[in-house]
This record gives sequence, structure tokens and C-alpha cells, in this order.
Amino acid sequence: MRLFAFYSLSAVVLLSALGVVLLKNTLRSALLLGLCLAGVAGIYGSLGADYLFASQILVYVSGIAVLVLFVVLLAGRASELRLRQVNDQWLAALFICAVTFWGMRRYVIEAGAALPAGSPQPATAPIGRLMLGDYALPFEVVSLILIAAVVGAVVFSKSRRGKA
Amino acid sequence: MSLAHYLTLSAALFLIGLFGALTRRNIIGILMGIELMFNAANINLAAFNRYLHPKGVIGDALVIFVIGVAAAEIVVGLALVLAIYHARDTVYAEDINLLKG
Repeated sequence: MRLFAFYSLSAVVLLSALGVVLLKNTLRSALLLGLCLAGVAGIYGSLGADYLFASQILVYVSGIAVLVLFVVLLAGRASELRLRQVNDQWLAALFICAVTFWGMRRYVIEAGAALPAGSPQPATAPIGRLMLGDYALPFEVVSLILIAAVVGAVVFSKSRRGKA
Repeated sequence: MSLAHYLTLSAALFLIGLFGALTRRNIIGILMGIELMFNAANINLAAFNRYLHPKGVIGDALVIFVIGVAAAEIVVGLALVLAIYHARDTVYAEDINLLKG
């Protein structure tokens, strides 16, 4: 059962990621990005990380994927569907990917840890205690980053409109 | 199911995202490739937490931080894409080659 869940979710994640990267139509890429992120949420579920599953759905699938979809619809044209979406450097990119794969291969082979005994415990309450205890300072720094991002997004999209 | 399965999945997802970020002409496509790479790193963190430290939740907490920073990054990136589109009328990376456009 666990094997089936892992392999089917991996197939969903990898095939939709290939679609995101290779498809010509950017709108289809954005829709497949949502599917890929939902598949990653399923992978978190198969790892027993319940809080990560929920926050992946909330932030990535219903936040970031929808935002990307909005921007694709706002900044796209019909004529783009006939344009090439891949630049001339794809051979060099393939080479870089091969080199990176060669570097990662050793660590993947050496990591042979088996699944520890016992079923996964609910993680929400311990994460909450961690965020308000040991990790309180990083937590506040992340909230500062989010505020800076919101202000930056407003500034970037406002000043251009005032100039035009 | 061993840790190597999850590491293989995340390595494949990372390489696909890297290829997309390197080869896409569209800035939105580059941002989507970067999101795939973030997710590959998050799968690694969650898998390490489950296999090597099953009693703790620090790996999960790190994933929450990464999700927050990635959300901030994509918001600013997409705002920049919209501003560039309004100013230059293009979303292709090779057309944007001046710092002072």
C-alpha cells in the first residue's frame, strides 16, 4: 500500500513537473504546476507530515499556483502560443543537469536508512511549541520578510502604473 | 520504502526544475522552475525528518520557513514581472538586457 502510494504520487509529481518545464503553452504549464504541488503535498502525506500536507495545500496549491495563473493570464498574448519557449542553451543546461546529477548520485546511493518503527505522530502541536519557543526569533524574521514582500509588491506594481 | 527512494524523487524533481529555470524564455516559466526546486528541497527535509529523526519536528519547522520565504519570493517576482510587462511589453528574458531600461 505504501509502495503503491509512493510510486503513483511520484509519477504524478514527475510527469506534471516535466509538463511544467517542456510544454509550449504557459497556461497549461501553470495548471500542471498546481497538480505537481498537490502531488508534493501527497508525498508529505506519505511521509506522515500532517501539518506540512495542510500548509502545502494552503500556501502552494491555493496561493502560489493561483497567483502564477493570474500573472500568466494578465501578461500573456495569444501570439505566444506559436513562439518557441525554450532558448538556445538547452544543450548546455542538459550538461549542467547531468553534472549536478553526478554529484547527487553518491549521496542518494549512500542513504540507506530504513523506515523507523512506529507510526508517525501528529506534528501540529510540537511545531507550534517550537515556533513560539526555540524558533521564536526565526519565526518573527519570516513574518518581517513577508511584510517586506507585501510592501515591495505594492511598490513595484504601483510606481509603474503612476508613470504610465 | 527507504530514504533513498525519497532522495531519488527529490533529485529528479530538482533536476527538472533546474532544467526549466535554465532553458525557459518566459520569466514566469523561470519562476515556475525555481518553485519546483524549492519543493524538491522541501521533500528532502521532510524525508530526513521522518527517517533520521522521527521523534522531532525540526525538519518540518524548516520546511514551514522555506514555504514562507518561497511565498515572499514568488510574490515579489511576479510583481516585478507585471511591472516589466507594463513598462517593456515583453515577458521574455532575452529582451530584458539593460539595467536602466
